[in-house]
Amino acid sequence: MSTFVSGIGLAAVVAVAGAFFLRRARLLYRIVGLGQPVDRSGHVAHRVRDEATIVLGQRKLLQRLVPGVVHALIFWGFLVLFPTIVMAFLAAVDRDWTLPWLGRQGSFFLLVDVFCVLVLVGVASAFAIRKVQRPARFEGSHLGEADLILGLIALIVVTLLLWHASRIALGLNEWPATWSPVSNAISNLMEPGEWLEARERIFVWLHVLTILGFLVYLPRSKHLHIATAGINVWFGRTRARGRLEPLDFEVEDEAALRLGAGTLADMTWKQMLDTMSCTECGRCQDVCPAWATGKALSPKLLIMGLRDRLFAEGPAVLDGADATPLVPGAVTDDVVWDCVTCGACVHECPVSIEHVDHVVDLRRHLVMVDSRFPAEAGSMLRDVDRASNPWGKAQAERAAWADGLDVRVLEPGDPAPELLYWVGCAASFDERARASARATATLLAHAGLDVAILGPRESCTGDPARRMGDEYTFQSQARQNVATLDDAGVTRVVTSCPHCFNTLGSEYPDFGGRYEVVHHSELLAELVRDGRLAPAAGTEAVTYHDSCYLARHNDVLAAPRELVARIGRPLEMARSGKRTFCCGAGGAHMWMEERGSAVNEERAREAAATGAETLAVACPFCTMMLDDGVKQIGAELRVADVSVLLAEALAAD
Amino acid sequence: MTVLVYLEHAAGTLDEPSLQAATLARSLAGDGHAHGVVASNSVLQALEPPPPVGTVHVAVHEVYASHAPRAVAEAIAELGERLDATAVVGPGSERGNEVVAHVAALLDLPLAANCVDVRESEVTRVRWGGSLLEEARVEAPVLLLTVQPHTVAIELGADGAPAVEPFTPSLSGEALALRVVERVGAAGGGVSLADAKVVVSGGRGAGSTEGFAVVEELAALLGGTVGCSRAVTMAGWRPHTDQVGQTGTKIAPELYVACGISGATQHMAGCKAAKRILAINSDRDAPILATADYAVIGDMHEVLPAISAAIRAARP
Repeated sequence: MSTFVSGIGLAAVVAVAGAFFLRRARLLYRIVGLGQPVDRSGHVAHRVRDEATIVLGQRKLLQRLVPGVVHALIFWGFLVLFPTIVMAFLAAVDRDWTLPWLGRQGSFFLLVDVFCVLVLVGVASAFAIRKVQRPARFEGSHLGEADLILGLIALIVVTLLLWHASRIALGLNEWPATWSPVSNAISNLMEPGEWLEARERIFVWLHVLTILGFLVYLPRSKHLHIATAGINVWFGRTRARGRLEPLDFEVEDEAALRLGAGTLADMTWKQMLDTMSCTECGRCQDVCPAWATGKALSPKLLIMGLRDRLFAEGPAVLDGADATPLVPGAVTDDVVWDCVTCGACVHECPVSIEHVDHVVDLRRHLVMVDSRFPAEAGSMLRDVDRASNPWGKAQAERAAWADGLDVRVLEPGDPAPELLYWVGCAASFDERARASARATATLLAHAGLDVAILGPRESCTGDPARRMGDEYTFQSQARQNVATLDDAGVTRVVTSCPHCFNTLGSEYPDFGGRYEVVHHSELLAELVRDGRLAPAAGTEAVTYHDSCYLARHNDVLAAPRELVARIGRPLEMARSGKRTFCCGAGGAHMWMEERGSAVNEERAREAAATGAETLAVACPFCTMMLDDGVKQIGAELRVADVSVLLAEALAAD
Repeated sequence: MTVLVYLEHAAGTLDEPSLQAATLARSLAGDGHAHGVVASNSVLQALEPPPPVGTVHVAVHEVYASHAPRAVAEAIAELGERLDATAVVGPGSERGNEVVAHVAALLDLPLAANCVDVRESEVTRVRWGGSLLEEARVEAPVLLLTVQPHTVAIELGADGAPAVEPFTPSLSGEALALRVVERVGAAGGGVSLADAKVVVSGGRGAGSTEGFAVVEELAALLGGTVGCSRAVTMAGWRPHTDQVGQTGTKIAPELYVACGISGATQHMAGCKAAKRILAINSDRDAPILATADYAVIGDMHEVLPAISAAIRAARP
C-alpha cells in the first residue's frame, strides 16, 4: 500500500470516527450548557492539587486497595502509552514514520512494555473481580458494558504488543530491541517472511481501528468518565464540604427564582457534569447507610437515574420542549427522602460527584414548590419556624439544663464574652443530651474560661429545615441568629452539636456571620493538652463513634480521640474517621419515620462488636440515636458524650 | 358568577368547614347565584344549619351511603355543567380536598387547595403546613378551590332555609367500582388517639406485642385508647397509627399513662398537651420522670396489673 493510499484511508476512518465523536460531544456540551449557574471559579491551587491527587494520584480510588490498584495500573498505563497512539497513527500511514526523538528512546519502550503487561494484569484482575468476586456494589450497574470496555482495553494493548513484536521481527524497530523484553520475546515466536510484513500492517491497523472504535463508543457509554472525570474533579467543591449552596430568594426577575431542582432544566451545570462522570463503580452504594439498611436510595442509582433522564430528555429540551418532573420520573420520592446527608458517598466517589447536593436540590423543589414531603416531618418545620426549636419546646426553658450551675446568660447590652457556648436545641431540651451541656459548661468553668450562653435568645440554626429542603425557613433562622450574635459582639463560639458547628462555621458566612467556631471536643482537647484540665487516666475500653458532620464534613477526628485516649483504652470500629457510618439522624431523619431496618441498630451492633464497654460520641443526635440503638439490640454498652466522660474522669481525679 | 359549593353532612347536619366553604362561596358569587350540593343515600328534606345558598341540590344514590369521592365528584361535575357554574368550592377537610381533587381530575382543571380568601380568579392560600400564605392567580374556565377550615367566619343563610332539590346523578362504572366492604374500629372502643381523654401507652419496656396485654387491660378499664412509643413501632410490636410523638400522633388527653417509656424528646413533643402524665418506669433516671406529674418506679408488668386489680376492686 502506498503512503498516499494509506493516508487517504486513515484520514477517512479518522473523519468518520471523529464526526461521530464530535457530534455526541457537542450534544453533551449543549446539554451541560442548559445547566443553571453555580460558582466554581477560583481556588486554582486547590483545584490543581485535586487534579494531582485525585486524578493523577488516584487517591480516592486507592481508598479501596485492590480495585484501586487495578484501576491505577490501567490509568497510569494509558498515560504512558499515549504517545504510542500517535506513533501508531503515523506508522499506519507509512511504516517508516514515527515520532521524532521519542520514537528512538529505548527507555520509553521499556516503560511501554512494562505498562502493557501491567494494564493486562489490571484488566485480568478487573475481570476476576467482576466475574469471581462479584461485589454487591455493582448491583444495578451496566455489567455488559463494563465487560465490553475491558475487552476493548485488552485488545488495544494486545494489538500494540503484537505490532511492536512484528516490527522487531522485521528489524523495523527504531529503538534497540533489547529495551523491549516482552515484545522481543513475542517476536521470537514470529516467522520472518512476506506474511509477517502483511501482519505488521494488520496489527497496526487493528490497533488504530480499535482505538477509533473506542472513541466512537466512549461518549455513548459509562466509560465517558475518561473524558469528563478530570473536568468534574477540577470543578469539585473547594469550600467547606458540609456547606450547601444557598438559594437566592431576592432575585429581581421572578422567572429566575430557582427553588431547587424540579426538572432537568433546574439542575446546575455541575450536577449535569456529575451525572456524566459516573462510571457506576458503586463505591457510593457500598458505603450508603440507607442502602445498607434496605431502603430505596442508592446514591449510584440516583445519579444514574438523573443521567438517563438527562440523555433521554435533554435533546428535546434543547429543541425547546418542556422538561418533565424529575420526581417521580427519574427517581422516586422515597429515594429523595431516604438520604441522611452523611456524605459517605461524596467522600468515596473517585470522580468528585456531589450526591448530597442533588438530593437537597430535589428536596427543595418537593418542599417549597410541591409541598410534598413525609408528613411526619411537617411539625418539625413548623416548630423550627414558630418555636425556634424543632420540638416545639418553650424557648423560656432553653437554659433550664443549667439550673444549679453557674452559667452566665447573656442579656442584651451585656459585654461580649470571650467565648460563647452555643448549646443547640438537642443539648438544651433533650434529657439525655443535656448531660453533655452540663458537663461542657462545668469543664469550661473549671478551666477558668469566660463563657456565656444566649439562653432563650438562642434559636435553632435551621439545619434540620435546610437538610429537609426548606431553605426559606433555614435562611430566616440564619439571618435572625447572625443578627443576635453580631449584636452580642460574639467572635468565638463553641458548639455541642456538630450540626450547629457545621452551620455556624461553614454556612453562616454566606449570610454575613463570621465567627471562629470550634466544637466542644476540640476545645476540651486543647484544655487537656494545655494542662488546664487534668483528667485521671482510665482503663475502660471505649470505642468512639465519629459524627458525620464532625469527621467527614469538617475534618474533626483527632481531638475527640485525644480525649478518649486520655480517659480510657480506645478501640476503633471497622468504619471510623472519615469513613464513619451515620447514626441515622442526619438529613432531618431525626424527625422522619424510618423504613427498612434501622441505621442506628446497625451502628450499635458494630460498636458492640468491638467489645468496648463505653460508646463515646460527640453529638447529641448520635447520643440519642445510638442510645436507642443499643437498647433496641439489647447490648451492654453505655453511650456517653466525650464531655461527660471527661467530666467524670476529672471528678474521679 | 354562579358558584357551586360542595357541602359535607351527617344525616342532614352540615359541619363547620362546609358552612365556612359556603360562606366563602356566597361572597365569591357576588350578585350571582350560589348553589349547594350534597351527596346522600336518601332524600333529605332540609339541611341544618341553613347554609347561605339559594338552593341545595341533593345527589341521591345508594353509593353515597359511605365515602365515595369519585362518585361525589361526578355528581358535582354533572351539576356544575347543568348550572353553568364558573366556580366550584369545597371544604378543605381531608375528604373535601379529596372530592374536589377528583372533580379537578375529571374536568382536567387546576385546583387551588386550602384557600383563605378569593377575589375572582385570585386566591390566597395556605402553604408549607401553615407557615406561608401564597397569593396565586388561577387561569381556568372554571375556578376550583377548597377552603382552609376555620379561616372564614360562618354566615348562615339570611333568607331562612334554602330550597332542597333532589337529583339522580348518572354515575360511571368507575365511580361505582369503589365501595366500602368493612369498617374496623381502632382499638380502645373506636376513640382515636388524638381525641382520647385517656391514653395508656407502652414503650420498649413492654417487651413484646404480647406485653401490651396489661396496657390494653388498663386502657379498657379507664375507657381510654392504647398508644405506644417510636421504639415499639420500630420493633414492629404495634402499628404506626398507635404511635404517640412528634412523628406520630400528637395527643391531648386528660390523663396520659406512659409505661416503660423513657421519654425521648420526640415522644414528649407528642404528649406535651396532656393535662396529667403518670409515668411507670423501672429506671429511676428515665428522662420522662422530669416531666411527669406522677411516677411509679417499678416494672410495668407488675404495676399495671396491680392498678387494674385495684380499679376493679373499687368498682361496685
